[in-house]
Amino acid sequence: MSLPRKWVAGLLFLACFVFAGFSDAHALPAFARKYGLRCSACHEAWPQLNPFGQKFKDNGYQLMNDRDAPIWQNPSYWPVTFRITPIWHRVSTDKVGVDTAAGPNTGEVQITSHGFDLSGLDFHTGGTLDKNISFYVLPSSDNTASFHFETVMARLDNLFGSTWLNVKLGKFELDNLLSEKRILTLTGNGGIYQLYHFSPLGDTNGYGQIGDNQLGVEYMGHSYNDRTRVSAALLSSNDGTVGLPAGNSYSGFFAASQAFDTGKLGVQRLGFYAMVGEAPTQFLSSGGVPIPGTGFGNKSFSRYGFTGQIYLGKLDFQVVTQHGSDDKYFATATSPYNPVPGNVPSGALPAGARNATWNGFLVEPHYVFSPQLIFIGRYEGINVSQQALAATPSDAGNIQTFTIGYRYMPIMTSRAGFAWHNEYNWLRQSKAAPDGTDLTSSELLLGFDFAF
Amino acid sequence: METKFMKSSLLLGAASLLLMSAVSWAQMTKYQEDQRLNMEAHVGKYTGHAADAQANYRRYCVGCHGVEGDGQGENAQWLDPQPRNFTLGQFKCRSTPSGTLPTDEDLYNSVGRGFDRSVMPIWNQLTNQDKVDLVAYVKHFSSKWTTEKAGEVFPIPAEPEVTADRVKAGQALFQKLECWKCHGVEGRANGPSSDTLQDDQNRPIKPYNFTEGSRPKCGSTDRDIYKIFMSGLDGTPMPSFIDNVKPDEAWDLVFYLRTLQPKNAYNMKERAIAKQLGLKPIDPNAPAPAAPAASSGGQP
Amino acid sequence: MKSHKKSVVVLFAVVFMMMGALILGSSVSAAPPSGSSITGTVKLDGVAPHQKGIDMSKEPSCAAIHKDKPAMMESVVAGANGGLANVVVYISQGLSGNEAASSDAVTLTQKGCQYIPHVVALDAGQHMKVVNSDSTSHNIHPQPTKNAEWNKSQPPGSAPFDVTWANEEIAVPVKCNIHPWMHGYIAVVKGPYGVSDDSGAFTLSNVAPGSYTLTAWQETYGTQTQQVTVAAGKAASANFTFKAK
Repeated sequence: MSLPRKWVAGLLFLACFVFAGFSDAHALPAFARKYGLRCSACHEAWPQLNPFGQKFKDNGYQLMNDRDAPIWQNPSYWPVTFRITPIWHRVSTDKVGVDTAAGPNTGEVQITSHGFDLSGLDFHTGGTLDKNISFYVLPSSDNTASFHFETVMARLDNLFGSTWLNVKLGKFELDNLLSEKRILTLTGNGGIYQLYHFSPLGDTNGYGQIGDNQLGVEYMGHSYNDRTRVSAALLSSNDGTVGLPAGNSYSGFFAASQAFDTGKLGVQRLGFYAMVGEAPTQFLSSGGVPIPGTGFGNKSFSRYGFTGQIYLGKLDFQVVTQHGSDDKYFATATSPYNPVPGNVPSGALPAGARNATWNGFLVEPHYVFSPQLIFIGRYEGINVSQQALAATPSDAGNIQTFTIGYRYMPIMTSRAGFAWHNEYNWLRQSKAAPDGTDLTSSELLLGFDFAF
Repeated sequence: METKFMKSSLLLGAASLLLMSAVSWAQMTKYQEDQRLNMEAHVGKYTGHAADAQANYRRYCVGCHGVEGDGQGENAQWLDPQPRNFTLGQFKCRSTPSGTLPTDEDLYNSVGRGFDRSVMPIWNQLTNQDKVDLVAYVKHFSSKWTTEKAGEVFPIPAEPEVTADRVKAGQALFQKLECWKCHGVEGRANGPSSDTLQDDQNRPIKPYNFTEGSRPKCGSTDRDIYKIFMSGLDGTPMPSFIDNVKPDEAWDLVFYLRTLQPKNAYNMKERAIAKQLGLKPIDPNAPAPAAPAASSGGQP
Repeated sequence: MKSHKKSVVVLFAVVFMMMGALILGSSVSAAPPSGSSITGTVKLDGVAPHQKGIDMSKEPSCAAIHKDKPAMMESVVAGANGGLANVVVYISQGLSGNEAASSDAVTLTQKGCQYIPHVVALDAGQHMKVVNSDSTSHNIHPQPTKNAEWNKSQPPGSAPFDVTWANEEIAVPVKCNIHPWMHGYIAVVKGPYGVSDDSGAFTLSNVAPGSYTLTAWQETYGTQTQQVTVAAGKAASANFTFKAK
């Protein structure tokens, strides 16, 4: 395995993060308008949910007071929310390969850029179509106004009158307690959970990303007061990409959690999650272009761990652990079969290849000074525990990152959300620079985050 | 150059951080501290303190009930029914007589139960302690709680077995007490007086429609329904019947009211009996049945 | 059947005991404090505004009572010779504060789906008996601002119930939600009071000698005040005139 391949992968990996940076959050002033509740009723700090907001979501965007169906709304009520984030930021990466007189990519420079910027625009619309039938549609644009469907789902709630029977179909947010779609941070690397997208250097598996919205069907059940929650989703292994582009493979996402009443401290919640599945490693190709739907050579992957939401009054800690594993064919980017000789380049597994495994830990403390001012910190550390190839340095691709910031909402009404946001993120990926040393990057961001 | 820029941007960040927190602090101290913040509430083993509920009240309640608890939060103008004005010290759901303050437990149950057909959500995901603290905070808005005690909880006898006789007796009471004047002979909220009803603020108000399947205002158990008509819903046209219905007869009425509701978890037996009896809606024009002993009513 | 009999007996016993208590109550408090009276007349200057008739067709049993003479609204009731009825006259200033509440109970009767009297006055602490003489249910729903609000049902044939008011309040509107046309007032005063009759005449009895501010309150026209001096053993007089609007 040559060095360039490693750093190309590393750079692509980082680029992914930058472009995936501004995530879509389901913070809906439309809901606040409908119910006359302030953002803070459902959100610990917009857009992250608190237990009441979680219950509202689990009930299918219903307060369960017989006034949820659209028939009860003022005719002028229209459940649409726009969200956009105008910012100034400064991004710096220390070792970027550059072309020199000696040839392509033979040098390394630090690149720092800054300026005013805009995230994409999200159109959120969601709510109920009738009692116990809910929906959510989120066309989301990137910063060039190129749209995609981030979320499109309908849900049958409380089937047979039971809160334990809810089924949704479509493209939706996975049932993560700490949802990346509700992340409080905005920077390229800090605006996502690294743990939800990690794969080791050289690993090409893009299907196990629990931070992305996925296509599938989800069963969800919860107790009346939402203290106990379970969910199981069957997903297409295509990372939410529409149009059956991959093969006929599925994955599952399972989550369960239990909350405990601890008096003045608050409601503590502990749970676990697991994503297990198979995804294709190879495609038939036509003229060198993969033919959609022809994915084959399905190999397995898994990510599972514990989650915790620990509340100590105004201070809380969101914790996620992960043990991840990718099949050796993913981990070495090898195509296992060659069923149509001459069509697909055959791949041979490198000698001694093993499944890649890793362990990660995420802790995100919040200090909620008031519903209008929250201080945010985060640390994530991911260590590869087994590289696919023994020759790869054991710490290559490890990630350490921290983020600090705050969100201040100078006004808080039931009509709109507006936050002044300030954040700093630092990330180091071990031995991911072109020269095989550590690659670090940082970003400072100031801006507005608003929805209406 | 590079480090200089780094420094200045860090400085900028720090400065804005300080500025923003200062602004928000100033905003927070604007909130007028109330001298009644030492108000307490007692429910079971929990003691609630009004002062401890300030943050939660601001987080969850203020949009409707308002900073001053007067029910004039920013959303009040859009809401029907209107949010409760806590400064009046008047509450619908009580286990105490009409005109008296509810018990802390009554308020606690209301917070955790929410109100169907209003925007008041079910706050059952809060901790018990949080809810009791909020009850204390609700109380602190009205000086009534410093001068008056909660009313005396009226006793409720143990619930008897549902029998056909009791259901029939309940129907006779429904006719005699003229519940149908507002609630209609079939409980469809279409009685002759139903469209003229007004609440205390002279806003139109509708009687409960038993046939709609939504939960009664103050809870869905038999005991809750018992309490609703015995205590009356203060601030609404629904009067107290405790002077006119004997404790045991009240259960008959509960059983009959159950037959008006569509099938739910609580009325299997009553509906079966009604079906067996071939129970017909009352005829308001029929001569009143010979007054049963219930007419003694009066002061117990 | 047997239990029915038994409850009738209990009923009689209860009623008997209540009557006994009433008689006992009034006999104990019979000793009248010495004092003079203030008498006078309330007049209406002008023509009383037209009082609308009340359509009671929704309550046939009450409509039948008013078959011959339709019931009228009672916001201004002018009697013979320009007298203005239902005016509460009371002492708003000058009382020693030691006046005991009258121990006689006043009665508010619901008859023909109207409150009789339309305006009832009583002392804070004085007992008020609420009676339903109709063959229909009423709910008695006073809406005070200085006293506790309550709302009680009173089906036909049920016994009167007793109410007291803790705080002075002129006047507490009272209504019946079942019969939205029913309106009345309960004036809770401190000290001697009088309510004008159809001829406008009123009497405040047992007024101790002294100088007082006398206030007259009418539900549509509001209040008027005047000074009055009461000499020992001599009836004082005061007259009010409200201008018709």
